[in-house]
Amino acid sequence: MAVAEQVSSKKNYLTALKEAVFEEMQRNPDMVCIGEDIGFLGGAFGVTEGLKAMYGPERVIDAPISEAAIVGVACGMCLNGKTTLVEMQFIDFISCGFDQIVNMTATYHYRTAGEVNMPMVIRGPAGGYGGGALYHSQMNEAWFANSPGLKIVCPSTPRDAKGLLKSALRDPNPVMVYEMKELYRQNKIAEEVPEGDAALVPIGQASIRREGDDVTLVTYGNNVYHCLAAADNLAEEGFSAEVLDIRTLVPLDEATIIESLKKTNRLVVVNEAPRTCGFAGEVLARMSEEAFEYLDAPPARVTRLDTPVPWVKPLELYVLPSVEKITDAALRVCKF
Amino acid sequence: MATTEADQRKKKSDAFQYGTYSAKLTADDHKEMLLQLYLARYFDVRLIKEKKRGRLTGTLYSSHNQEAVLVGSLYGLKPKDWISPIHRDMPAFFMKDIKAGWRNLDRMGMSVQQVCAQVWGRVDSPGRARDNWSHIGSRSKHIIHSTSMLAGTIPAAAGVAYADRLSGGDAVVLTYNGEGSTAQGVFHEAINFAAVHSLPVVTVIENNQWAYGTPTYLEYSQEDFARRADGYGIPGLVADGQNVLDVYDKVLEAVDYARSGKGPSIVECKTFRAYGHGDHDDDRAARYRPKEEVEAGRARDPIAVMKRIMVERGLMTQKEAATYAAEGKSASEVSNEDFPPDVVAYLSEGIEFAINSPLPPAEEGGMWVFREEN
Ligand SMILES: Cc1ncc(C[n+]2csc(CCOP(=O)(O)OP(=O)(O)O)c2C)c(N)n1
Ligand SMILES: [Mg+2]
Repeated sequence: MAVAEQVSSKKNYLTALKEAVFEEMQRNPDMVCIGEDIGFLGGAFGVTEGLKAMYGPERVIDAPISEAAIVGVACGMCLNGKTTLVEMQFIDFISCGFDQIVNMTATYHYRTAGEVNMPMVIRGPAGGYGGGALYHSQMNEAWFANSPGLKIVCPSTPRDAKGLLKSALRDPNPVMVYEMKELYRQNKIAEEVPEGDAALVPIGQASIRREGDDVTLVTYGNNVYHCLAAADNLAEEGFSAEVLDIRTLVPLDEATIIESLKKTNRLVVVNEAPRTCGFAGEVLARMSEEAFEYLDAPPARVTRLDTPVPWVKPLELYVLPSVEKITDAALRVCKF
Repeated sequence: MATTEADQRKKKSDAFQYGTYSAKLTADDHKEMLLQLYLARYFDVRLIKEKKRGRLTGTLYSSHNQEAVLVGSLYGLKPKDWISPIHRDMPAFFMKDIKAGWRNLDRMGMSVQQVCAQVWGRVDSPGRARDNWSHIGSRSKHIIHSTSMLAGTIPAAAGVAYADRLSGGDAVVLTYNGEGSTAQGVFHEAINFAAVHSLPVVTVIENNQWAYGTPTYLEYSQEDFARRADGYGIPGLVADGQNVLDVYDKVLEAVDYARSGKGPSIVECKTFRAYGHGDHDDDRAARYRPKEEVEAGRARDPIAVMKRIMVERGLMTQKEAATYAAEGKSASEVSNEDFPPDVVAYLSEGIEFAINSPLPPAEEGGMWVFREEN
């Protein structure tokens, strides 16, 4: 199979995604893929390389550059019994298909009193730290978290990438998959990835990446690794940090966060998106409602500044969360 | 089969007839246009070399083989006219109004120094390197700032045109778009708006046969993208995008039409993308595009086409035409000797400036979200 390109049994994030797509296309003859340059080219990053040759142009559609039509056509296919996988070449361009997502697709089940399911997955490369500038660096998940009817996942490891994408493709609801393009080819995080049903990772379950007793760092995506590095720094200062990767934003696994807070009593939430109305704010709000009694210090958030993501490195790092910013915030919370 | 196609195209160029506008061009105009073709080509090949040498990061979107579209469309514009270039039009930023003097800093185009500073990501870029590649512009130079969102600036072009008319002006706004980008909803909305209000907006479609890895037949169901105009009841012209004089004729016809208050038009320029979508795509493009197609598409180098016309009309000798032989050569085959010294010097000044320009200070990342003072 075209996906078996790595010599070692360890797979990177990109290969894991590819495997999910190929396995689900094989398993589900009603699944259709649609997006820009996904066929002949195999996708800008190669997630669908070889897919058109294997499943043909009917099930692997090279669409014109029309994000609204791409989402809307996928919506119509879902209405008529298909499962659709939509690729956004970069998640930033999703703004061009916004209405078809939030008004057409997300609300379908609701406004038909459950008559219609929307088994659609919208996946795309997201996130900063790569010098992609304003329109190739975004984390715009909050737009969609604020649009009821959409599930949102953001995997940080190859296993989660494959497992969450596969689960998304079996979910009767529209699911958005925010893929971390800076992690696509990182060999450091390559790992063994199961095949078939064994690979499934349930939507709506957080994962503890590192156990600790003094403070809980809640995050997802690229910042999982920044939080792990910050936890090392904190250990040097004598604080033991728990790193919790929520993996799914909607629906949020509140129980796992609360369990962690019962132990650590301190909370720092990190997201890559801007501060105002970013998802970190949502986590803080819920924990102040649900877990206030367990908190021994005011919680903190580390987010992007309320700015776009600028291009050149010093500017980009100035606005995005970093290991240092997370360490500092956690120390303040620990020393409160 | 590929060669016959190329031969046919060659014949077409040899049979070139001057149009209303090109017929009035002087010998000096011809020479200047040829020089500008060299300039646009040199920008491209030099950046590829700079990147190979490790002096440059960031993606390059080559306009190699498409230079006649830029030179021909810009040549007939007035200084006050606006342009809206996108990723494949990088030379347009310094070639707008370049007739007013390549090194004239007061002209209505950017300096080559500014454009190079942008490519290098330095503080002297017009956008202080906040965004990459072609995402610059200048209100004072009448260049609309692009974003990544394809076709995203056509509505703004219509707005600029509307405002100009409201203020009693008669400027024309010229927008550039790849043929693939014409599938964007906003392309339709904007041109429809411009048509309803008879706005002076000319949309140049650079039909280079490919949109990243997607061929034209999967982008549009007709051969000529100019036919998109029919639905709006506006003129849709087709130009030979390899022939700078034909582009000049068709664009100026549309520009005059717009300036006289008759409204927008579309000018499709047929050309061919020489390399990958960006330099990151060169290797893959070699796989998804048939070799014969690429050879046929590059058979009519715009520099060669212009030289042939000039020799035929007695504006240049065979010997002169052979002096700077950049045509038909890829970036790795071509050297500085293949370009007029002026062209090499001009760009080198820009690159020197860029290399010596500092990075912007980190804190600028947090600035200019809002205007603070009133
Ligand atoms: C709204 C939007 N969708 C997708 C992209 C990604 N993208 C950038 S360039 C490109 C192809 C453009 O093709 P075309 O318009 O023909 O211009 P060309 O690159 O051939 O000059 C694509 C798909 C984008 N920048 N914006
Ligand atoms: Mg194109």
